[in-house]
Amino acid sequence: MTGRGDGGGAPGEDRGAGARPEEAPVSGPAAEAAGPVGRGEGAEASGGPAAAPGGGPTGAAAPEDGGAEQGAEDGEWRKLSPMMLVVAPVTYLKNFIIPLILMAFGATQNPWALVSLFAALAGLAVTGVFTWATFRYQVGARRLEIRKGLISRSRRTIPLERIRGVHVTSNLVHRLFGLAVVHIEAAAGGEGSEEGKLDAVGAEEAERLRRLLLHRRAVLRGDASSAGAAADTPPSGEAAGTASAGAASGTPAAEVGRTAAEPGGGGAPAPAGEPEETEYFRMPARWYGFGALSVGYLLTPFVALAAVIGLASQVAGDLMERPGAVAAGERAFLYYRSLAEGSGAPALAAVAAGVLLLVLALMPVFAVAAYAVNHWDFRLTGQDDSLVTRRGLFTRQSVALERRRIRGYELGDSPLERVRSAVRLRAIMTGLGGDSTRAVLLPTGPRARVEEIADETLGGYTGGLVRHPRAALRRRLVRSVLPFALPAAAAAAAGLYWAAVPAALLALVGIPLGADRYRALGHGRDAERISVRWGALRRTQAVLRREAVIGWTWRQTLFQRPSGLAHLTATVGAGSGGYTAVDADLAESVGFAAGVTPEMIRPFLAAPAEPAEPAGTSPEKQEPPE
Amino acid sequence: MWTVESVIAHAVVTALLAGLAWGAAAAGWSWIPDGAVSYGWVVPVGYALFGAVETAAVPRVRYRVHRWEVTADVIYTRTGWIGREWQLVPVSRIQTVDHTQGWVERMFKVATLEVQTASHAGSSTIEGLDAEQARAISEELAMRAGELRDDAT
Repeated sequence: MTGRGDGGGAPGEDRGAGARPEEAPVSGPAAEAAGPVGRGEGAEASGGPAAAPGGGPTGAAAPEDGGAEQGAEDGEWRKLSPMMLVVAPVTYLKNFIIPLILMAFGATQNPWALVSLFAALAGLAVTGVFTWATFRYQVGARRLEIRKGLISRSRRTIPLERIRGVHVTSNLVHRLFGLAVVHIEAAAGGEGSEEGKLDAVGAEEAERLRRLLLHRRAVLRGDASSAGAAADTPPSGEAAGTASAGAASGTPAAEVGRTAAEPGGGGAPAPAGEPEETEYFRMPARWYGFGALSVGYLLTPFVALAAVIGLASQVAGDLMERPGAVAAGERAFLYYRSLAEGSGAPALAAVAAGVLLLVLALMPVFAVAAYAVNHWDFRLTGQDDSLVTRRGLFTRQSVALERRRIRGYELGDSPLERVRSAVRLRAIMTGLGGDSTRAVLLPTGPRARVEEIADETLGGYTGGLVRHPRAALRRRLVRSVLPFALPAAAAAAAGLYWAAVPAALLALVGIPLGADRYRALGHGRDAERISVRWGALRRTQAVLRREAVIGWTWRQTLFQRPSGLAHLTATVGAGSGGYTAVDADLAESVGFAAGVTPEMIRPFLAAPAEPAEPAGTSPEKQEPPE
Repeated sequence: MWTVESVIAHAVVTALLAGLAWGAAAAGWSWIPDGAVSYGWVVPVGYALFGAVETAAVPRVRYRVHRWEVTADVIYTRTGWIGREWQLVPVSRIQTVDHTQGWVERMFKVATLEVQTASHAGSSTIEGLDAEQARAISEELAMRAGELRDDAT
């Protein structure tokens, strides 16, 4: 199944792509230009015969159907889309729109600015041509190769097994021209390093690359079974029509590929032969309303307002430099003064208040709008061994998260969202930092539905959460109240009532805060997963797979000792690195850890009185020499 | 060894304080009150006393509370006097094993072993091991961790 898929799918897609008029003439000369080099590479890569398909990409698909290895060798060197030549200067120009407008209004006092701008654009176009002419990439059976450069050449080889993620972005300009940028991440390098970037290829080509890379990686890793299973599952959504019908009736893969690769960008259905996608989630219209609950998005109007004010002041500053502007400004100021001094003062105040009210009233509207732009048509689909999210109205993002690297997930909500019982879903992944927006699996939505989807995609958590002991509540209260209560008492004692009152008020506010923090605490486990919940106001519940836990740490301070509390941290090589059950009962938490990873804890459970301590009978136990 | 390190640290601080007090007295700046100058010796002497007590007591307590153990699967460390900490690191999840020796440590032929996992929260340190033993353990751990073909995350 997989072998046939590889052999048939890729060339079929080639032909489909060939239907695009600008690609056909391009790939011809490109292949020739790369000829001598390419042949040498091909021979080195695969040892002879497999290099043959490189010469003729349209070479017969049928004979290759048998062997996955041979069929998977896609030796063709491809180039970036020539549309990139148009897009790059346009993108660059976007940054200069405001100066350009100002220049147009300012009657071009400085012709050199304009000249230099055009010179820069011309230079950009020339370098763009060079980049385009020299940049080529190849997806081999085992690796992806990218070459670029005319004078100083660079060549980068990424083994396909090492690819951690492939994500596709396309901003508004890209989408106008039907392009997309493909980012390829591999395990090497530092944080957030990007191993390969194809800027930019056609949208279909991007989609094809993403599928191809992820699929070949899956095959290489030997989970052919899972890949096959994924290909066998009936696809849902739009792919259902053409693709599954084609697969079922045994239509030649190439033909289905051609039907499927219709121009339409974004949601091009899966070409048959390559793995199908299962759609788990598509954003319902109602969910955009949750944007109004997000504090970050509520503040966007203010950010926008600040930007507008900044721009206005800049424009005003530029205008002021022109003769006559000063006089006009003075007249305006005098008019303002007369208004303020006369009967106009209340009117001015009313206008100011009105503007403020308007902004406040518009806040949710703007929030929903901004939220919708970011999360437009949010989709979560599954392919092979990855989960893929797509979102965005103008800039469309597509992120593939490898299932193998997902250790669990986080459900988070803010107090506002809790009122509507809405939560958001993030993946806990190795190789992604704790705060990466790429880990977002689902936008904010009703808890029941989000949990349902989490259950479907990653496996749900069925165990309850153990409440932490009452002593933890005392500690939370002390923590939230004392820092304000002590200064308040001190200030009151010193007779500084102006300082004591606000501090006392803050201390009072601390009581519900502390209680809330206590209510958020909890931990628990079921057969396969553990869960920890914490948070002040913004609550997060992490659900981790059992085998993701790579260590335990208990921490106990002097103040925790009398009440038998301790922080238990489950260390995880993913997400933020560790998940802490704050102020858990020491004995209970040891039992909890022993239940999760018995082989790790049991050897140390000899002395029940102080459970985390070894009995001291172990032969290897050593005292550190002084 | 901790005693020696403590002695050195306290001696340095005491010397610094004494130098400061002497300097203040010698310079005779007018803005320093007379009392502070004449009683300037109190600070370094007081600190030296404190240092002596700490040197006598703390290393012993530290020695008493530091425990470590390497079993077949897990490295267990216990540290802390006031705030206590217990840490368990499974051998199969070890990413790197560091074996370091400072100059004082070399004088006493001891070493520090640091075990790191994929998570920054799960790294564990054992101080004051016998040097030979530390080397043997680090080699053994590295070997055992290397036997696993997983990427241990």
